Amino acid sequence: MAEDHPFDAWCVPAFLSTGDGPPAPASGTVRTTAPVRTVESDRTGMSARAHPTDPPPPTLRYPELSTEQVELLGAELRRARERALLPRPAADLARVLGGVGARFLDPADPLRRRALELLPPTAGVSPSMAKAILDGMAADWTPGRLLELLERELADPTVLDRFVPDGSGRSVRALGAPLQVHLTAGTVPGVSVTSLVRALLVKGAVLLKPGRGDVALPVLFLGALAEADLEVARAAAVTYWPGGDDPAENAALTMADLVVVYGGDATVGSVRARIAPTTPLVAYHHRISLGVVGRGALGADLERTAGAAARAVALFDQRGCVSPHQIYVEEGGDGAPREFAGALGAALEVLEGELPPGAVEGDEAAARQQLRGTAELRTAAGEDVVLLGGAADGWTVMLDPDPAFEPSCLNRFVRVCPVPDAEDVPGLLAPLGRHLQSVAVAGLGLRTAAVAEALARVGALRVTSFEGQPFPPPWWHHDGSGPLRALMRWVDLELPGQEGRERDP
Amino acid sequence: MEGSPGGAESFDALARELGAVFARGVDAALPEERFEELALRAFGHQFASNPTYRRFAEGRGRTPDRVGGWRDVPAVPTDAFKRLKLVSGEPEEVERVFRTSGTTAGPGRRGVHHVRRVALYHASLLPNFRAHLVPEGGRLPFLSLVPRPERLPDSSLSEMVGVAMAELGAPGSGWFVDPDRGIDEGGLWRGLRERTDADEPVLVVSTAFALVHWMDTMDREGWRIVLPPGSRIMETGGFKGRSRTLPREELYGAVADRMGVPAGRIVNEYGMTELLSQFYEPVLREGRGNPGEPDEALPDLASRRHVPPPWVRTRVLDPHTLEELSPGGEGILCHFDLANLGSVSAILTADRGVASPDGFQVLGRTPGAEPRGCSLAMDELLGGANG
Repeated sequence: MAEDHPFDAWCVPAFLSTGDGPPAPASGTVRTTAPVRTVESDRTGMSARAHPTDPPPPTLRYPELSTEQVELLGAELRRARERALLPRPAADLARVLGGVGARFLDPADPLRRRALELLPPTAGVSPSMAKAILDGMAADWTPGRLLELLERELADPTVLDRFVPDGSGRSVRALGAPLQVHLTAGTVPGVSVTSLVRALLVKGAVLLKPGRGDVALPVLFLGALAEADLEVARAAAVTYWPGGDDPAENAALTMADLVVVYGGDATVGSVRARIAPTTPLVAYHHRISLGVVGRGALGADLERTAGAAARAVALFDQRGCVSPHQIYVEEGGDGAPREFAGALGAALEVLEGELPPGAVEGDEAAARQQLRGTAELRTAAGEDVVLLGGAADGWTVMLDPDPAFEPSCLNRFVRVCPVPDAEDVPGLLAPLGRHLQSVAVAGLGLRTAAVAEALARVGALRVTSFEGQPFPPPWWHHDGSGPLRALMRWVDLELPGQEGRERDP
Repeated sequence: MEGSPGGAESFDALARELGAVFARGVDAALPEERFEELALRAFGHQFASNPTYRRFAEGRGRTPDRVGGWRDVPAVPTDAFKRLKLVSGEPEEVERVFRTSGTTAGPGRRGVHHVRRVALYHASLLPNFRAHLVPEGGRLPFLSLVPRPERLPDSSLSEMVGVAMAELGAPGSGWFVDPDRGIDEGGLWRGLRERTDADEPVLVVSTAFALVHWMDTMDREGWRIVLPPGSRIMETGGFKGRSRTLPREELYGAVADRMGVPAGRIVNEYGMTELLSQFYEPVLREGRGNPGEPDEALPDLASRRHVPPPWVRTRVLDPHTLEELSPGGEGILCHFDLANLGSVSAILTADRGVASPDGFQVLGRTPGAEPRGCSLAMDELLGGANG
């Protein structure tokens, strides 16, 4: 059995740290140390590793911060923002952050190697999946992409630096919330880094608590940022703690000028209840995504479409908010929905080898038993349900004549539902309400615009291709809003003649 | 019955025999060979008279002539009850239909259990209830925070409390919650005070959910009482679907504080609509529930377990492989319930648990943990909370 190498799930450049010791506040204030706690990896056997020889998830170590220490940290983060973020042009910050981000794409860089070593055990994904996720995420962390994000979202990114006339007689200034607290879900690795980068781009100091499955990348990123530009890095802190209604987390939520939370509806509700009415909350709650395949994609394009859909299902082991649970397939085309289901299964079978599934939680496996067994019984009852599956449980395609939406148990379990017409689909999605997010469509031809409009009206936030579904562009309207704008406020200067003049920062 | 292979025995004959088994009560274990024999006969009957189940079993290669023992009998997932009618018999033979508590909003599917013989349900629930909640015998006033069966005719829990109250309830028993109007707060408070003034110990029957609400009410109204010694509480649920809104320790602490009933006299019941038998914690039964008996000897909450009645066997299975785990392993609970003769006896739940020498511990979801993925589990999407 491999030795358990604990992972230090924190990086707090604002504090001096002595090698592996716990963080201590900067000199000039009272010296205190935070006791280091550990979170044991799951050894009870309810979760199965992808392969028996995979190492178990490592023990995580993290500092147990008192409320005073959280507040102290908050004050340090604010000071660092004043010193290092506010005076810097946003474009400059994009270059610095992008420089670190790009390292994760460089095969020769030890940072990338370390990330690929840590991702499988900490995130419960296979090594190939870790590589696919890292490549997909880090592609948007480069200087070019971050500059483009600034430009696409803000037309003139210098609004983050100074007042800029907007042509209506007023000038406008954008200010990122000064001290932000981000709580991420840990379900998809890399989301934390994107969140951290967004905050720093809008010149917000940020305390980020990653979810358990996403501790590696933000710690590595911030550590590398501290090497590249310590002053900027001091405006950020990453530390794990077990989330919940406890004094330290509540202290963080209280001191924040803005809170970002990724998580289930219950988590979002809990956070909402613990922040002041005046504190903005950016809540990335539970989301469901889907696919629609029109007749046009069931002829010559069937296999290609099925391949793209399979990849969308398999990536993140289907745990992303963008991952499709269910794919509606139009009847009456050159190929039948049954054929599409078969092609989807064949593609998932190939991906099981190329992008092996990661660890499956016991609860997820239990849910899968329920879905599979119920499907078998429905077939036994004479329903037209067909269950296709990988021999090693790596994937399941369920052809289901009942088009009503039902959430998947994830881990590459996808329902294929025949519909007479793609235009019927938006009506079927109304019960999803505010949980609907991305809908991938294919083969709708000239009907695409009308279907997209109908989908938008029932709450879809993104209509895309199967190829594009897994990795939205950095400037996507994340859950309906610009990702940078969600973290900023606008200030208007309405006095003519006082518009921003060129000034040295 | 069409296509019934091998001349399966009649439902009535088996039901009669099972009734006798239930009547023996829960104190004496059912020897393994006897359980095995009855289990295989139940499976044989269900295979013969439940075409859907038969085809399911055939699909798995688990037919009566091929299964080695009750452990090989294919188990039906509880979710299947939301989609299918699972009756071992003709539709006109169904006497009663129980449904899982549904959601009022949204398109949630409710699990449906078609019960062929309600008398069999009564016969199995009563000895179990009595042994665990009124072990000293006799009757005592029931104060119920479960709606009366007339108001919720498709609730197996209401049916159960109704039957128990008729057999074991003393004057002063009452129903204090209505599905539409909520808790009859004044009525319950009055009932508790009257029984306390008369020094009569009571049994309060409640869902965990209602008990939490009742604690809030007592708090809000500034009500406090010390119920007579020997008073006890049955609370049910809190494991499935959403995690408890209040951890058990806190709830039991509040109950001890506001009603004077110690944790050692609070019995949790674990049951489900899909299963006609129930599982109780034997805390009262082991302490005999006698007034004046010291409670310190009673086990703390973390080491409590639920005990099946003699006519049920519960296994803990690996959720990935469905193989039975060695003791101490954490897995999913799979029950074989002879009382389910009229539907399907072998039931696979998604409930997490650990085997103990004479029963099992039910574990909820890891506190604070949510399903991985930005996506939703069925329960959460549909806002459902069973039991």
